[in-house]
Amino acid sequence: MGSILFQNVDKVFGPSSSGVKALDNINLEIAEKEFVAIVGPSGCGKTTCLRMVAGFEAPSAGVISVSGKRVTEPGPDRAVVFQQFALFPWKTVRENIELGLRNKNLPSGERNTLVEAALKLMNLETHANAFPHQLSGGMQQRVAIARAYVLDPEVLLMDEPFGALDAQTRVVMQEELVRLARVNPRTVLFITHAVEEAVYLADRVAIMTRRPGRIKEILDVRSIRQAENWDRFQKIEDVMDLESFVHLRTHIWKSLREEKGSQSI
Amino acid sequence: MIGRRGWIGLGTVAALIALWFLLTTITGLVSGARFPSPAEFWLSLTQIWGRGYAGGQLMTHALHSLKLVAMGFAVAIATGIPLGLWMGWNRKAEAAINPVFLVIRPIPPLAWIPLAILWLGLGDGAKILVIWFSAFVPSVINTFAGVRNIDRPMIEAARMLGTPRWRMVREVIAPAASPLIFTGLRLSLQASWTTLVAAELVGALVGVGFVLNMAQQDLYPGMILVGMVTVGLLGWATTALLAMVERRALAWNMAARD
Repeated sequence: MGSILFQNVDKVFGPSSSGVKALDNINLEIAEKEFVAIVGPSGCGKTTCLRMVAGFEAPSAGVISVSGKRVTEPGPDRAVVFQQFALFPWKTVRENIELGLRNKNLPSGERNTLVEAALKLMNLETHANAFPHQLSGGMQQRVAIARAYVLDPEVLLMDEPFGALDAQTRVVMQEELVRLARVNPRTVLFITHAVEEAVYLADRVAIMTRRPGRIKEILDVRSIRQAENWDRFQKIEDVMDLESFVHLRTHIWKSLREEKGSQSI
Repeated sequence: MIGRRGWIGLGTVAALIALWFLLTTITGLVSGARFPSPAEFWLSLTQIWGRGYAGGQLMTHALHSLKLVAMGFAVAIATGIPLGLWMGWNRKAEAAINPVFLVIRPIPPLAWIPLAILWLGLGDGAKILVIWFSAFVPSVINTFAGVRNIDRPMIEAARMLGTPRWRMVREVIAPAASPLIFTGLRLSLQASWTTLVAAELVGALVGVGFVLNMAQQDLYPGMILVGMVTVGLLGWATTALLAMVERRALAWNMAARD
């Protein structure tokens, strides 16, 4: 349960004869409870990878499956956290979080218990009856994460979830996500263009080439994290100072720089 | 409470009334045969308010017109909003219906009046029909545009949450489109009054437009002005009522704009 599999996936936008090839032969296997980040130059198709797992787009060739089932349409087993939050502004925080549970036809007592737990998990208890526009960007993204977590999804798909936040809020949310991953581990596919974020959060980092996107390299961060015992630090800046972290970051940087360098401007 | 803007507005109205008094009564530059003086206006008003004119008192005429507008407007939005939602949501429905709209839209709503009277005579049915024709179009078009303008991630979020079709329409599509839906309603309401008065001018047995028509035939400028002011006040009151409903329904959106 909770694995993600890309098998020979191509994506072409537009008519297949004259369209633009966005993704070229993507093969990637994400194990249950594994956190994989995809980084790549802008326009490389990393978000498209996530959108296909979500079921918003279909692959032009190849198969994507989640827990062994082929993905054909969106569904609550694959919860998405969007860069622009995508909350419903006319619903309160509680109603936003509750909608997915109502769609599952859970009785109201059970819904309440789950919503309260999700509010508590994301430190949103005091904002349960607020409307999204009354909250800061960071708080809104907490609501979006709570809305995803409450579904108890098999996989969590995060599309540059902290890209719209300011630098300080971003750090807080990154630390929060690490805390969540420890309390409640999930299979996560995380899209970002921020290299530090990927190294800090992920078990493995997949680096993509420029368009048409291919997977160039997959780095095993988890073995280094465990060997160097990164988890003894609470704060992201302490981890980011470690030589092992810097080494990984520089490696990914250079790899991405090559992609940008070969891009015609 | 009347704010600074309110006082400025009241000042303008007072100045216009003073100018009216000056031109018609004090200097006599405008003759009473062309435009009534305040005194003549008042006489006409008391006449239609008490004894009545054109077969009824002012309240009878005004309430009758108001009733027709309310009915025509209600029919127009009860059909227009669902059709707009459907066209916005379903590409095939849009492809099928939009060409018909492109043909019908350029016909001025008033041009339907002769046909409506031919079909339904001078009674209420014809009026409601023409109001429907005129008020329907802005409701449909703005609702349609409202649905088309919804941010894609919001729809995707709802689909990801497994939202079933009817809940999607009620709780996501309609509220997301509601700012533009209300724009459509305001235009529809305006169109309702315009067409009703025109239809009553052409042929009616009661109503504010009928008062205007009678007063014109009687060469009675005072009563013409009473009819015009009545239509103005009714239009203003219904628009204000709609704005109140809009403020309540879109509280989440108004606050976001601050």
